Amino acid sequence: MGEMVSVINTVDTSHEDMIHDAQMDYYGTRLATCSSDRSVKIFDVRNGGQILIADLRGHEGPVWQVAWAHPMYGNVLASCSYDRKVIIWKEENGTWEKTHEHTGHDSSVNSVCWAPHDYGLILACGSSDGAISLLTYSGLGQWEVKKINSAHTIGCNAVSWAPAVVPGSLIDQPSGQKPNYIKKFASGGCDNLIKLWKEEEDGQWKEEQKLEAHSDWVRDVAWAPSIGLPTSTIASCSQDGRVFIWTCDDASGNAWSPKLLHKFNDVVWHVSWSITANILAVSGGDNKVTLWKESVDGQWVCISDVNKGQGSVSTSVTEGQQNEQ
Amino acid sequence: MEELDGEPTVTLIPGVNSQKKQMCFDWGPGEMLVCETSFNKKEKSDMMPGCPFIHIIRKNEDVYSQILRKLFNESHGIFVGLQRIEEELTGKSRKAQLVRVSKNYRSVIRACLEEMHQLAIAGKDPASDRQFSIQVSSLSAMELIWNLCEILFIEVAPAGPLLLHLLDWVQLHVCEVDSLSADVLGSENPSKHERFWNLPGNTQTLTELELKWQHWHEGCERHLQDGTFASSPHLESLCKIMLGDEAALLEQKELLSNWYHFLVTRLLYSHPTVKPMDLHFYAQSSLDLFLGGESSPEPLDNILMAAFEFDIHQVIKECSIALSNWWFVAHLTDLLDHCKLLQSHNLYFGSNMREFLLLEYASGLFAHHSLWQLGVDYFDYCPELGRVSLELHIERIPLSTEQKALKVLRVCEQRQMTEQVRSICKILAMKAVRNNRLGSALSWSIRAKDAAFATLVSDRFLRDYCERGCFSDLDLIDNLGPAMMLSDRLTFLGKYREFHRLYGEKRFVDAASLLLSLMTSQIAPRTFWMTLLTDALPLLEQKQVIFSAEQTYELMRCLEDLTSGRPVRGEPDAQQLQDDDVETTKVEMLRLALARNLARSIVKEGSLEGS
Repeated sequence: MGEMVSVINTVDTSHEDMIHDAQMDYYGTRLATCSSDRSVKIFDVRNGGQILIADLRGHEGPVWQVAWAHPMYGNVLASCSYDRKVIIWKEENGTWEKTHEHTGHDSSVNSVCWAPHDYGLILACGSSDGAISLLTYSGLGQWEVKKINSAHTIGCNAVSWAPAVVPGSLIDQPSGQKPNYIKKFASGGCDNLIKLWKEEEDGQWKEEQKLEAHSDWVRDVAWAPSIGLPTSTIASCSQDGRVFIWTCDDASGNAWSPKLLHKFNDVVWHVSWSITANILAVSGGDNKVTLWKESVDGQWVCISDVNKGQGSVSTSVTEGQQNEQ
Repeated sequence: MEELDGEPTVTLIPGVNSQKKQMCFDWGPGEMLVCETSFNKKEKSDMMPGCPFIHIIRKNEDVYSQILRKLFNESHGIFVGLQRIEEELTGKSRKAQLVRVSKNYRSVIRACLEEMHQLAIAGKDPASDRQFSIQVSSLSAMELIWNLCEILFIEVAPAGPLLLHLLDWVQLHVCEVDSLSADVLGSENPSKHERFWNLPGNTQTLTELELKWQHWHEGCERHLQDGTFASSPHLESLCKIMLGDEAALLEQKELLSNWYHFLVTRLLYSHPTVKPMDLHFYAQSSLDLFLGGESSPEPLDNILMAAFEFDIHQVIKECSIALSNWWFVAHLTDLLDHCKLLQSHNLYFGSNMREFLLLEYASGLFAHHSLWQLGVDYFDYCPELGRVSLELHIERIPLSTEQKALKVLRVCEQRQMTEQVRSICKILAMKAVRNNRLGSALSWSIRAKDAAFATLVSDRFLRDYCERGCFSDLDLIDNLGPAMMLSDRLTFLGKYREFHRLYGEKRFVDAASLLLSLMTSQIAPRTFWMTLLTDALPLLEQKQVIFSAEQTYELMRCLEDLTSGRPVRGEPDAQQLQDDDVETTKVEMLRLALARNLARSIVKEGSLEGS
């Protein structure tokens, strides 16, 4: 399709310093942003508009990431910051307020990620102190904390949950009974590793797998949404300029094999899967975002010459002075 | 993953500038966010002020065009119809029916084209006029290509009729055939056409036709060589044209709008009984001759050439690249698949090309606030990944109104997508609770079969009752039916309301029994017992004795239980009960009323027994 894209809206956040993250909510109606100016802002962006709904103050340092919880829990947003804190914000009666503050880390918290809504309201947080903490909402304003100390030596840069796998016996569960999900997430750290974590029956988190392929700090990991195929897929990117796609045939659940997507000339900071997992967006140190469609020529479907290994098409979205289409 | 098919398109984002910053991005459900950032996380950022803009970008989906919406709507009907009659398509009539479907699609394109054309010439403003004109060309190209595909792949016209179809095709699409060209290139021969073929009931065989034509052709040649037309260069040139002389034809190039016009004309005069498999030779040479090395083929030319070569995959590929939407390739490929023309190639996404294209098209529809409903049907007819794609997309539809939510739920329920139903109902229930619409919240939690939430909402109802002395949403609670069993608290709520109803109907004995049973069966939460006991007061103070002695003993036991000072987490302290003056008074009144009732009931029962 030529992947023609155009800017449909430009939101002036009025942040006074560098923006570090911007996230759309579940429906694409609200936008949350966070910045080195220590604030978290929320905008209503329906119909091409931009209305500031909230300007949340509470962090004492640059805020690195924000993450929206699933709408069934109401309007809930998490933010993490250099100030070592994770703050959970909630909209109550039309106003946004801080509903919880987690101070269990000894250094900057770099990444927050909400678990699949089926598991409840659970937030994973990765920190430069090398630990990962898991906050679970247990009701009545209470949050339980589980901490994985020394998950990655030197520091943890990213956390990403696996999609919820519906156990076979889920059909016709008697109401009120929670099905036994196997909860897993991935983390990437300064030890050049990607680690996969699994919750045991006793509620403790155990390291299930180590994925080794990078030769420098892992900057980001992203577990692809499930699209009904039996394989699991994780994307990782690193200081070493490489982006790997890891796949695992779920039958065994243990054999992960990496495929090099590309070797860039600079640090790769961020990878992100589109909602229906067809497209992987990859950032570069070279002011570009490239979009990759795995295995299939995004412009075309099934010609045999693209089937050599896997074909891909990339489009670049680049910064620049002019708006060309 | 290294293979690239063509250069990636570069889109420049305005305003994201400077050497030091990078682009931060993330996906929304239907769009992408980008902004300037610096990934290197430092506590103190550069002194240079950051750029406060976040750009929301999206693929140029045609979904947003008013006129194309009609195309999407009407073609949806044709698509679904085609899927449904698939089983019935057998034997000889199959081809005819498929051709009819193809013509239906084309008429929809033409209708759209017409409307767009009207808008383009309406002269509103140059920018939108230009936009419409582009769309007109695009639609026009689509019709052209589809028509050719219909002739070659679906109609599968054999030699003979093939040329006639191609003639129609060219005449239909060449808009600028003026009268002169008609004279020179076509109308000289219509009578000859009619004589040779296209008469209904024409029973001549191909060989007979070829012979006749051959005879005529030789006649013309003889005239030319004999110099019959020597005196008139015009007539001579005409004769040459009728003999299919390429040079002569090309001399009239400005009357031929394009190479395929040239091709068909040429074939008409030199190879009227051309076989389908030979078409591509003539096509290629026509293209080359017409362009004459002065220009290169355009995308449209390549598509048509691929069609003449019967390379369906190439046609689809080129169309995917050249056109700005998935609509065309998705519908055409689906139709061709029904014609059993596509070999299945295994893909990661979708088990075959047809499904891949339909998935792309349907996904695009979900970006639109009402067209998503069309998308549902397309997903339905994708056996491999349709369902899971639908699950992913349907959850992201903003539930801006109750009607929309109900529509979405209906879609999910019809397809037994229980997870999605549960999730959507929960979202709606939560929203209702936040807006204090408890009745709505309750019905959503019942629909979601969510016991925990039903309990939560029932508690709210009960709390409200305690505060205001009356129930909201009585209708709902009165008509819970079997749904009442979803959670204990909900059952209690329903039964408690029933108690009130019985009381209202003056069925005091029944009401009394129910009230007591609510406590003794442990269905009532202990926190509510005080309220229940207080509700018992009017029954105790009636002139007639309602509670039996047995029942009165039970009530007394409940009261003592409550006030006996056994602290239970989350419940009002018995101590609190005693300390609170109002509570103390209530308890005293109850004790008194119960004692009095006990006395009366013993007397009453004693008397009855006696007589």
